[in-house]
Amino acid sequence: MARRALTAALAAGLTSCQKTERKIFDGTSPVAVLRAKSYQTELTDTILEGIRLCGLDVKGKTVLLKPNLVEFDASTAINTDVALVAAALRAFRSLGAASVTIAEGPGHRRDTLGVADEAGYWKGIRGFEDQFVDLNRDDVSPVANFANEKQFFLPNTALGADLIVSMPKMKTHHWAAATLSMKNLFGLVPGAVYGWPKNTLHYIGIDNSIVALNRQFRKTFAIVDGIVGMEGNGPIQGQAKDVGLLVFGQDLRAVDATCCRIMGIDPAKVAYLQQAADLGAIAANQIHQRGENPQAVRNDFQLISEFASYRLTPDANTKKG
Amino acid sequence: MVQDYLRPRLEVLRNNQNPDGGWAYFPGKRSWLEPTAYALLALHREAESEAWQKGWRLLRSWQRPDGAWQANGQVAEPHWSTALAVTLHCSQRVYDDSFQRGVAWLLECSGAESSLLVRMMTMVGLSKLGNDPKYRGWPWRPDTTAWIEPTAHTLVALKRAAPQVRNAALSRRVALGEGMILRRRCSDGGWNYGSRAALGIDLPSYPETTALALLGLQGSREADLSDAVRHASQLWQSSRSRWSRAWLAISLRLLGTDLPNEPTDQPVAKDLILNALEVLAAADGGFRHFRPEGKPS
Repeated sequence: MARRALTAALAAGLTSCQKTERKIFDGTSPVAVLRAKSYQTELTDTILEGIRLCGLDVKGKTVLLKPNLVEFDASTAINTDVALVAAALRAFRSLGAASVTIAEGPGHRRDTLGVADEAGYWKGIRGFEDQFVDLNRDDVSPVANFANEKQFFLPNTALGADLIVSMPKMKTHHWAAATLSMKNLFGLVPGAVYGWPKNTLHYIGIDNSIVALNRQFRKTFAIVDGIVGMEGNGPIQGQAKDVGLLVFGQDLRAVDATCCRIMGIDPAKVAYLQQAADLGAIAANQIHQRGENPQAVRNDFQLISEFASYRLTPDANTKKG
Repeated sequence: MVQDYLRPRLEVLRNNQNPDGGWAYFPGKRSWLEPTAYALLALHREAESEAWQKGWRLLRSWQRPDGAWQANGQVAEPHWSTALAVTLHCSQRVYDDSFQRGVAWLLECSGAESSLLVRMMTMVGLSKLGNDPKYRGWPWRPDTTAWIEPTAHTLVALKRAAPQVRNAALSRRVALGEGMILRRRCSDGGWNYGSRAALGIDLPSYPETTALALLGLQGSREADLSDAVRHASQLWQSSRSRWSRAWLAISLRLLGTDLPNEPTDQPVAKDLILNALEVLAAADGGFRHFRPEGKPS
């Protein structure tokens, strides 16, 4: 814990040394929470409803669906379920997107297509290989001022997309407390440059990297797979958790704050959500909740002891972030 | 029969060589060092051809002034795939100044956890990484931590380079690198990508990293690999991943295990590295590029 506190202090120090003054987000953001009982139900209509409730226009856009593919373990729920990705593919196509591509760059497995196969993507999505881009091994272009890096390389497929749809699994995370739509953008970093795992991100700092990626990619939408999530020692070794929800929104910070409230985690204590104050809403009174009320569907996730103090208290729901 | 399996894969590699002479990870994309190195190894029987030589020249042109190779023509940073470039030089028996500078860079490079500062912090209990930083492995890129895969590739390169290099540091780095791999072995007998445990909980081994760890440990005096080879054989039997099966076949064949050929009707992949690895993994001998003594057939 002391090491985590030291890292956070160093990160905060580095952040405060950065010259850029960022304006704190003071607007409001819609976030939709919709019930979805299982992966066997028809999810396309639910996704279309989530998109409608959040006012997203996708007509004519090149859309990149970014699921969370890590590795496969039949005994738990690590990856975004293929049924949800297949339904999103149908939904975005039906709304007139110019193109819809599925893309991912897993953090430590080299064989991305093999992981996708084990996770059922080849069977569950017809012609999967033709619709998929391995972001670990895509062509890349440099971007400037990524965190404290003078130059940082990112995949052209992601840089060229009009809309990146972050589709994470709702999971706890043993370093970051929760891994949701903002952390899911780690999969956009190319392993061909930064390795497996993308260890450079750990040296930049996990929280700093999450925020830097979200500052880089601003045209985003989130669909969080909370039908079955993961609690405990996530993102790989935790236990499956039935929640029965999908969470939608264009403001990824607001989506993740809402997910935290559903999971019984105080979003104000999650370092990267705090650090991303310029990117979106976190306070409950800045988030226009649509669909289900997060308090009514709260379903506390088990937290490892390092994060026991992150448990949401009743009054934290109404506090400013 | 093996030719029926190899022919379409070699054809895909020949047909997807970029105009600059290199290979991309996938058809139609830019050339990178990693797929170029594997494609050149897979096509080694055509090394006299102009096409092969063009790829070789491109790869050589990506060496940096510091001796390291970079990942492609665009990302101007030292990269772990320097190990592949050195292995390819050994396969071509080219031991010139470029080769020597590449080896020298590998000998200087190590995981950030092995820096003097971190080792001192470990000694006084201020760092609790869980891995002994004395055993210096290799990172994917400088100033980051060492991992199994880049360490294994570098060990292959250094072992192949050893007879051509007069540097006392080489055998010591090889021993330390082997020590790093041996001490990160998982409780199930194989290797994960980095550590044997996280937060005190054992991690499972992966097929591809187990294969690569065995590759790096070939010829190790410290290691009894018989259990690990048995585990790798089981992984080869059970793994669906063609990438994993190819690396396992390369390692197991090098360690003397007799394996059946993959079915000849297996479709050719779009992944160009996978095509090259499947060629190198076949029984006709390309896998010997990764043997410390070299000698491909």
